Amino acid sequence: MMITRTHLALLGLVALTLAAMALPFLLDGYWLRLATTIAMFAIVTCGLNVIVGFAGYHAFGNTVFFGCGAYALSIAMNAGWSFSASLPLALLAPMLLAGLLGWPLLRLKGHYFAIATVALNLAFAELVTQAGGFTGGANGIALPLSDLAPQIAYRRIYWMMVAVLAVCIAVTWWLSRHWLGTALRALKDNESGAEVMGIDTVSAKILAWMISAAMTGLAGGIWAYWITFIEPSSAFDPLIGVKAYIMMLIGGMGTIAGPLIGALLLELFGALIWAQFLDLHRLLLGCLIVATALALPGGIVPLVRRALRPARPAR
Amino acid sequence: MITQTIVNGLLLGGLFGIASIGFSIVWGVMGVINLAHTAFITVGAYIAFSLFSTFGIDPLLSIPISIIALFILGYGIQTLIINRATQTNLLLSFVVTFGIDLIIINVVILLFTTDFFSVRPSYSGASFEIGGVVIPVVRVIVFALAFLLGLGCYLLLNRTRLGQAIMATALDRDIVRTMGVNPRRIYAIAAGLGAALAGAAGNLAAIIYPVSPFIGLKFIGAAFVVTVLGGIGSVEGCIIAGLLYGLIQALSASVFGVETQEISAFLIFILILLLRPQGLFGKRFFGEH
Repeated sequence: MMITRTHLALLGLVALTLAAMALPFLLDGYWLRLATTIAMFAIVTCGLNVIVGFAGYHAFGNTVFFGCGAYALSIAMNAGWSFSASLPLALLAPMLLAGLLGWPLLRLKGHYFAIATVALNLAFAELVTQAGGFTGGANGIALPLSDLAPQIAYRRIYWMMVAVLAVCIAVTWWLSRHWLGTALRALKDNESGAEVMGIDTVSAKILAWMISAAMTGLAGGIWAYWITFIEPSSAFDPLIGVKAYIMMLIGGMGTIAGPLIGALLLELFGALIWAQFLDLHRLLLGCLIVATALALPGGIVPLVRRALRPARPAR
Repeated sequence: MITQTIVNGLLLGGLFGIASIGFSIVWGVMGVINLAHTAFITVGAYIAFSLFSTFGIDPLLSIPISIIALFILGYGIQTLIINRATQTNLLLSFVVTFGIDLIIINVVILLFTTDFFSVRPSYSGASFEIGGVVIPVVRVIVFALAFLLGLGCYLLLNRTRLGQAIMATALDRDIVRTMGVNPRRIYAIAAGLGAALAGAAGNLAAIIYPVSPFIGLKFIGAAFVVTVLGGIGSVEGCIIAGLLYGLIQALSASVFGVETQEISAFLIFILILLLRPQGLFGKRFFGEH
């Protein structure tokens, strides 16, 4: 059998996943927590990359799906469902939400779509706060604790995050080769042009947002189980979506490895630099956001790709 | 009772209008959605508070100071950061201005902590009554000043050469170059103007609301809804939409309770976007850069 680039890429992904899976045996609690956070943000960024990087729809309020996944899982678990039975809900509920909202919202273009998702995120946070009842309202929800020893439970959560991340990267990679990915790229460049070419742009966009929501929601669900207490201000924190956006910019929009690289760099940087200055944490994050947008609007992956490409002979 | 609600809503609506004009101008002229706008409002409120508490300057007299200070801040940020960041992609402005918002708010927290302060001039408790409707004097003053500032801004944009240059740049940034207008300078001036109006709004808000780093957040929903309802980049639209927004907020608060105010705001917002994206007074595609 011929070994193609496809096989190599798959092999690389499997090897990387296995290596990441072995990490908990080497890391102590602090670094394991950091590694889990990196994997979580990489998933959220992967989800954002599908709708922003591929389809060109700048969803600044994608946190709404993170919160939706977290709440779906928490409500189900408090109703007596097991974790494994509730986790699919963290995928399905945001997907359904994206499908329902995508139909009206994805008709908006550019700024209008971006700002509508911001409003959606804020409205949902408010809605859950006011709803009370089974959502716990402003008081939040505590999740049933796992029977496992904390150390083992944390390891499992990390493995879950890594597994989901590997699937997300595989899905992004598949998408980049599939007709849907091509359709999305076409509509990103020129939507009416893509329509003329016979692409069903409405379905393609909605499908992309649903995939994006499913990824983001899963991360939110596992996150809720991990921290065992959620409230509207933490689950729907707009900063989650904005951080993911920055990670996508750092890594490279529309690339496959970009989200992972961006999440790794930003979180590691955060842990090393601003853990020293707790009061200044958000201030430094703001500076970093501005600096990234000014200095690296294209991202690292395209930069590296350009550097690796052999120089063209002069003509 | 219902008259009282309507009067309260309209009086606050003036403030909502003035708090949104700057946001609307910046969006209309350069297509930048400035998420740091509410941080500018916060800075204006703290300027009023600092001058009042240290020098005893009346918050109404500090308005010009807030306007000048914020104009400089807005102009500087636009020249140093936003003009550069939006060169590649206009939508980067979302991220950049969010970052600027984080920086400004956290500097405010470093300087003033997260405590609540109040600005209480001698006339703050006074009110009068017309036909059973109680009208606080401060709110009338705030309303009148907001209206005057809005009028001034309208005249500046529509009756002066500078205003014409700003409007022309909004329509076509390439053609204005041939007429001797430097679009980047116009952008900086428009951003300064937007920030200055936000500063004035913050200064006025400090008289009504407690001053905290989150005072600007009260206006984020208003800025979105009023801008889109009034038509992006339209000053007169902003003022009328501001009054309408204040009215809707007051009525929905009295019918459904204060907690649902934000939800109703965002619902209105999404509905306008879907049904009439050009707003009440805007022209279609005007804000689609």
